[in-house]
Amino acid sequence: MKTWPMWVAGTIALAAAFHILTVFGLPYGIMDRAMAGIVAEAGGVNKPVYPASATAASRGIVRPSPDLLYTACAYDVSERPVKLTSPVPDTYWSLSTFASNTDNFFVVNDRQVKTDRIEIILAASESTATEEGIPVIVAPSSKGIVLFRSLVPSEDLRAEIDAKRRQSNCKPL
Amino acid sequence: MVYVPIRAGVGGQVRRSNPEPGRGSIRGKSLKLALKLVAVVVVALLVGAGSALLFVRGSGLGGTVSVGPWQTSLAIGSSEADPYTRARVAIAGLLALNRSETIYFTAAQDDAGDALRSGCIYKVAGTDPPARWWSVTLYGADHYLVANDENRYSYGGATVARETDESFVITVGPQETEGNWIPTGGQADDTFSLTLRLYNPDPEAVSNPAGIALPHIVKEACPS
Repeated sequence: MKTWPMWVAGTIALAAAFHILTVFGLPYGIMDRAMAGIVAEAGGVNKPVYPASATAASRGIVRPSPDLLYTACAYDVSERPVKLTSPVPDTYWSLSTFASNTDNFFVVNDRQVKTDRIEIILAASESTATEEGIPVIVAPSSKGIVLFRSLVPSEDLRAEIDAKRRQSNCKPL
Repeated sequence: MVYVPIRAGVGGQVRRSNPEPGRGSIRGKSLKLALKLVAVVVVALLVGAGSALLFVRGSGLGGTVSVGPWQTSLAIGSSEADPYTRARVAIAGLLALNRSETIYFTAAQDDAGDALRSGCIYKVAGTDPPARWWSVTLYGADHYLVANDENRYSYGGATVARETDESFVITVGPQETEGNWIPTGGQADDTFSLTLRLYNPDPEAVSNPAGIALPHIVKEACPS
């Protein structure tokens, strides 16, 4: 009996499986690498890093905007919720959170906050005990990335905006 | 007493008996099968993972909406993104915001459909897109900013010099020019891409990104 059709079919089936695994696994792998970079720079999870403006030497995240100042934290809410705090500058600003599969599951900008300071709690579930009066965002994955963006519209404002973004923080409750 | 003539070696082949009948042939078959299985796994891995990478890799985020040479995907950053969009964004636009906050258009070609090349000069010309703030940024084929003496990688709504009618023209090329200029770094064979970010886009832009008037990208010359 000829067995080569079985071998060809098996190879195609296995190739399809590797194709699907690669497509599904890539976002997780790339996010893991990004989180590891932030953790290494911050000295642990749930701690912020304040990188300088992106230049041609920046290799942390692809396609960075050189017009923004970023603050990043690798969050881990598996044991405790994480409190996110930041002053809100008088420029475009946003706080965004990304799940381990790259989904942007929450974003708020300066126009939506309406005050000059924001406090938000990131938790694994709504039932998690947190601080009263502070909105809770439920993270779809226990690990991920928090990113604060601050636009630097002109060089005159850079120092002021940089000083404010360095007050952005991620801290376990 | 019976006399038995010994014929072996006389006019015929001598056959050696196998001390363990069948064992050698089974070992050979097993080895052949193992080699076939390894070959199948290697070929399947190369074809499967390779085709996946080819599919999701590209010059930009790619997408489902095109405006001239600019492309975007409506599902960027969204939990509704399909696995291919997620993988593409992870490679070429990690930590991208969803479109209600920011729309990312990427162009890897000019208006004529030719790939953007570092040795050529382009004019990016248009009017302010409908958003609170916008920027045009140049990235190399590796998706990182391109080194240049000016340390200039982008222009935004607040920094671009405008014409008298409030439109703008940005020159993208290897040699410095008057006015708005984004350096390409100058290697003639390198390709690059441009990303147009629309932060806090107007509601009509969010609902109908295909209807936005975006800057034209016109090739002027390729001196090198």
